[in-house]
Amino acid sequence: MIYSFDIESGNFTGAGHASSSVKKILKQLNVDNSIIKRVVVALFEAEINVVAHADHGNIKIILDNQEIRMIVKDKGPGIPDIGMAMKEGYSTASQKVREMGFGAGMGLPNIKRNTDEFNIESIVGEGTCLEMAVYLN
Amino acid sequence: MEETPSYFYHALKVDEDICIGCAHCIKSCPTEAIRVKEGKARIYENKCIDCGECFRVCPVKAIYIKQDDFDLLLNYKYRIALVPAVFIGQFNEGIRTSQIYSCLKKLGFTHIYEVEHGVGVLIDMMKNYMSKNPENKPFISSFCPAVIRLIQVRFPSLVENIIHLKVPLDISSLIISQRLIDAGIKSEDIGIFYITPCAAKIAAVKSPVEKNPSPINGVINMDFLYNKVLLMLNNSDNTVEPINHSLTGRDVVWSLTGGEASNFKGRCFAIDGIRNVIDFLDKIENGEIETDGLIEMRVCDQSCTGGVLNPNNRFVAMERLKNRAVYLDENPKNSNQSTFALSKDFYDRIALMMEIEEVKPRSILKLDDNLQKALKMVEHMKKIESLLPSVDCGACGAPTCGAMAEDIIRNQSKIENCIFVNKNTQEFYTIINEIWGDDKIVEL
Repeated sequence: MIYSFDIESGNFTGAGHASSSVKKILKQLNVDNSIIKRVVVALFEAEINVVAHADHGNIKIILDNQEIRMIVKDKGPGIPDIGMAMKEGYSTASQKVREMGFGAGMGLPNIKRNTDEFNIESIVGEGTCLEMAVYLN
Repeated sequence: MEETPSYFYHALKVDEDICIGCAHCIKSCPTEAIRVKEGKARIYENKCIDCGECFRVCPVKAIYIKQDDFDLLLNYKYRIALVPAVFIGQFNEGIRTSQIYSCLKKLGFTHIYEVEHGVGVLIDMMKNYMSKNPENKPFISSFCPAVIRLIQVRFPSLVENIIHLKVPLDISSLIISQRLIDAGIKSEDIGIFYITPCAAKIAAVKSPVEKNPSPINGVINMDFLYNKVLLMLNNSDNTVEPINHSLTGRDVVWSLTGGEASNFKGRCFAIDGIRNVIDFLDKIENGEIETDGLIEMRVCDQSCTGGVLNPNNRFVAMERLKNRAVYLDENPKNSNQSTFALSKDFYDRIALMMEIEEVKPRSILKLDDNLQKALKMVEHMKKIESLLPSVDCGACGAPTCGAMAEDIIRNQSKIENCIFVNKNTQEFYTIINEIWGDDKIVEL
């Protein structure tokens, strides 16, 4: 099953739409609560990343009886040093974003911690593609 | 209406003789637990959380809250009224608490206690629980039984976050009955009656979330008793009953919004109103709320003063209770002797009985235990939803097109019931009759 969600840049109030919808579906599937929690945390962080840093983004969810795969693609500045971005506490978020309570630099490492597969590719000036998967069993 | 097992007692009932088969209740239900069939509202027992929203909106008062027979009092030698502070808040300022107590005695009660007597003991137990169970953060209060049931059915991942302790009602009734038994009174002679402001509390007494039965013997609706007391007061009954208790301001406002949260350290939240509670639970579930403080949640707007059985306006009642709290704190008559001052032994005994062993998740969202099968159903449901008009008109008897799609895949409805899908005129008449009864179609 495939679901697709668009993410609007700068709209923090709209963030969380995809993770809430996915949460409902996983509850319908009777997926273990601890797995649902990991998916929701990872997806919410990914949504916030796009809202905070990119110009536009899209989330594609591919769901089968083995795993939930989430592909988050954005058009934006990209990440010059992925190694740095993977360090806890490192953040390039603007003051405005930090004032809203986001941008503590926990995003990418937190996503990695909560997923079973994690892959990130980025081209500076073009955008970032984050692919992650959580196994359902 | 269908074969789903009955999970527990519900206080909310539909009087089918009065129900006119309209769409008010199905639209108001926060768990989408009501459908209209054969012209009558039908409640899915596994989905209902006894919040009482349907009771509020029913235009013909067909939804009622089943209480115990008042004559049940006659079965007991010692008849204890456990009155919540909000009951006192229903009367205007000119009427003294001692007059209300006096009327209750004349109605047949031998002892009057306010539920909130147990608050002081409970706060200690809650603080102790929170420091001993840090892995269950953030802590959600167990105070409102409709919140517990909402979490069980819609937010099953949060059951462990509920503080596994009973509420002031339980602690007070346990202490009262234990004291009488310790004084040599036979337990079968003791009848404890709770005066309830809502349906959820009745359901909680009749089928508690934990295994042990509640020590409460009967539940009387607040509006029923209010009428009886007011009638006596209007017949210029001015007798007073001396009050010998040590309630504090903190106790009296416990059931108001913020009444619990204000007693705890750290980042605390006080959420009232069913929609607010749902929004906030969603945030907790997403991991957005980090706190080691207390999250107080009540499904009624303005908490218990907004209970569906309260005869008076919630803001008026709240104002009276706040004034009473100030008065009690400024005039601490019995401050040196707490009504529920407990010896160490007694405290330990009660503390054991206050624990809730387990709050079981009972998701109403899950479609099937088998993932493969559930996945097929989700897919099927998505397809059906795309066929439905997203008007959420309710003409099929379900509150929304989403709820209708779910009913269809659960074999509880059929797509032909949608008036936007089914354009067969003859069938249309039959279907409308099936859902809304045979007196609804208008001929011009």
